[in-house]
Amino acid sequence: MRKSIYAALIAASTLLAVQSCKKSGSSSSTDNSSSFDNKGMLTNISTNIILPAYTSFQTATVNLDAAVSAFNASPDNTKLLALQAAFQATYKQWQAVSVFEFGPAETATLRVNVNTYPTSVSQISSNISSGTYDLSTFANLSAKGLPAMDYLLFGLGADNNSILLMYTSDITAANRKAYLAKLSAEIKAEAAAVLTGWSTYKATFDNSAGVATGSSTSLLINQLVYDYEILKNYEVGIPAGVQSMGTTFPTKVQAYYSKMSVQLAILHIQAIQNIYLGKSAQGDGPGLDDYLIKADAKKDGTSLNTTIQNQFAAALAKLQGLTDPLSDQIKTNPAAVTAAYTELQKLTVLLKTDMTSSLGVLITFGDNDGD
Amino acid sequence: MKRTFTALGLSALVLIAASCSKDSENSGNAIPVYTVPTTYNFTNVDFSASNTRLGMATEMSNLMKNAILGPLDGAKLKAMFSNTGAPFATAAYNTSGIQIKDQTAALFQTDVPGFIDSLVKVSQSAQPASRGVAGVGKNAAGVPTYALTGSGINYAQIFNKTIMGGLITYQIVSNYMDGGISSSVNNTTVVTGSGTAMEHNWDLAFGYWGVPIDFPTNKTGVKFWGSYSTQVDAGYPANKTLMDAFLKGRAAISNKDDKTKLAQATIILEAFEKLTAAAALQEVKEVKESINDNIVRNSRLSECYGFVYSLKYNPKKKITDAKINEILALFPKNFYDLTPVQLDAIRDAVAAQYGFESVKDIL
Repeated sequence: MRKSIYAALIAASTLLAVQSCKKSGSSSSTDNSSSFDNKGMLTNISTNIILPAYTSFQTATVNLDAAVSAFNASPDNTKLLALQAAFQATYKQWQAVSVFEFGPAETATLRVNVNTYPTSVSQISSNISSGTYDLSTFANLSAKGLPAMDYLLFGLGADNNSILLMYTSDITAANRKAYLAKLSAEIKAEAAAVLTGWSTYKATFDNSAGVATGSSTSLLINQLVYDYEILKNYEVGIPAGVQSMGTTFPTKVQAYYSKMSVQLAILHIQAIQNIYLGKSAQGDGPGLDDYLIKADAKKDGTSLNTTIQNQFAAALAKLQGLTDPLSDQIKTNPAAVTAAYTELQKLTVLLKTDMTSSLGVLITFGDNDGD
Repeated sequence: MKRTFTALGLSALVLIAASCSKDSENSGNAIPVYTVPTTYNFTNVDFSASNTRLGMATEMSNLMKNAILGPLDGAKLKAMFSNTGAPFATAAYNTSGIQIKDQTAALFQTDVPGFIDSLVKVSQSAQPASRGVAGVGKNAAGVPTYALTGSGINYAQIFNKTIMGGLITYQIVSNYMDGGISSSVNNTTVVTGSGTAMEHNWDLAFGYWGVPIDFPTNKTGVKFWGSYSTQVDAGYPANKTLMDAFLKGRAAISNKDDKTKLAQATIILEAFEKLTAAAALQEVKEVKESINDNIVRNSRLSECYGFVYSLKYNPKKKITDAKINEILALFPKNFYDLTPVQLDAIRDAVAAQYGFESVKDIL
């Protein structure tokens, strides 16, 4: 009798101890639709969108580098035209890969290495005249990549004849050719490294579960939003003066010298839209749109996915209403450009705030100033 | 008799279990039983002195931002540091009878005039900032943003980060979490409005952290370390670590639970050093986010440098001075020359020192 009371009391106190010592559960990121097939979406995107895009980009960079070599061997107008065409093809294909800054691309810091703009003419010129430079410094990010090549192939003179002279009779012609070769070689090497990296990374990417920070879904969404913001701010907004109280910076547009800013912006937003939709040459596969539908995400009573798709269309329409060179249009018809920015900004809210909260994804990049 | 003893023993067991005290292995000693509130709503709390000093630091920091507009008044900044000659815009600071300077680490006191002089010199340059040329730099949007030396150093940010170490961390680790709560400090006489001397010291430390009393549920108005403990929370749970310790410690003091008090003090003390390292890693991430904007990148690198350097002001630090200098030596002589390899080396050295390897990129 005594023993059983003793035992019972021990049991009771232990139970009490366990109850009161219980730690409150750590909050995990909400996954509003645990039944959504993340893996299916990620596999569709990596197989049908990412890998084909990187493959095409890598091919383009090989062609570009070959065109540079041919041009440098004996610069003439025909080879300059061929080189310019190869450059434009590469820049266009870049618009389809810039979103994927995670995994191999993140390791290579591909985005800033390939596409930091506006390029710094003074930095490029200083590198060329000195002949010695370390392209790996951050300061040289604005003196290399496609934007630097944009300047070197389209910006050195008013027409191809004067550009050609900079590679033939100009006093620094040899240094310039060497510099151009270094730039295209670097882009080619980076594209190859990233594509190779994906042969092993794909499995990791496809099989990453959930939406926690660091998961593939989180990385994809974060980089999609980040890249979209670059489109909105750097391709359109800042040059149009929206962050500088109306003071415009027409020369800061992407592809300023080759005058294909609008063309690239359109390709860029279409690429982002396709990722969102899970759409590729293989058809309309699972994408973020399906995820939002599964999560029954709503905005002001209507389907968030519908709202997003409508806004993509509205922004695209405004961009299609612009004409190259964008730098000129900023000067002659700034209202049209800021109108495009306004539509782009509406999509920012939908993607960066509404989509992410509906899926339980945290935006991990900050835009806060040091404090 | 035996039955009574058993019953008493069991009661003690139940009580110990119920209060979840970490000292349960010392069963037998009478441990005060009290509840720890979930917010810092203790009675007789007054950390206005800490608020005043943080406010003074803020005025100095705000004045330094004017370096992008034109020449700075260095004399005024130095006067603010020691609160001489009514230098503050906030009148109450001028008549408060307290200052920042005499509360700071000795090394910080000698460093500050140098920081001010360097910033003043930059502010006198009429040129745009570039490598080798001090002046005002513009960001990608073309807006004048930071005043940088020719080596890319933003001394306004160096000041902002070093004062967090030289004033706040210094006071917390060497005073409030040490002598300020020792057994020779009065913990019996309650002064209305500010508590016992020991309670008051603890409250001043809490005030220095710069968070509202119902933090982290409420994050309004966080400043200095309050802002940074939030920024690094994803990788280092500083918010919970510190708030729990501050609450537990204050309750412990009020209830004469010395053992718990000392345990919380140790937690807080060590947390502030770790927080400094986490903040440095957060700045590395911010450098990477502004990687192709020379001006912004240099300013953020300056913030990173400031945090690492400020470890020198912590007399209770676990890192050695030699190690601090080793990490500082990883920074390029000219910030404009920063390479990815250098940046990752800085990140890896800080992460390795403080066990942040698994979170080094997400802080």
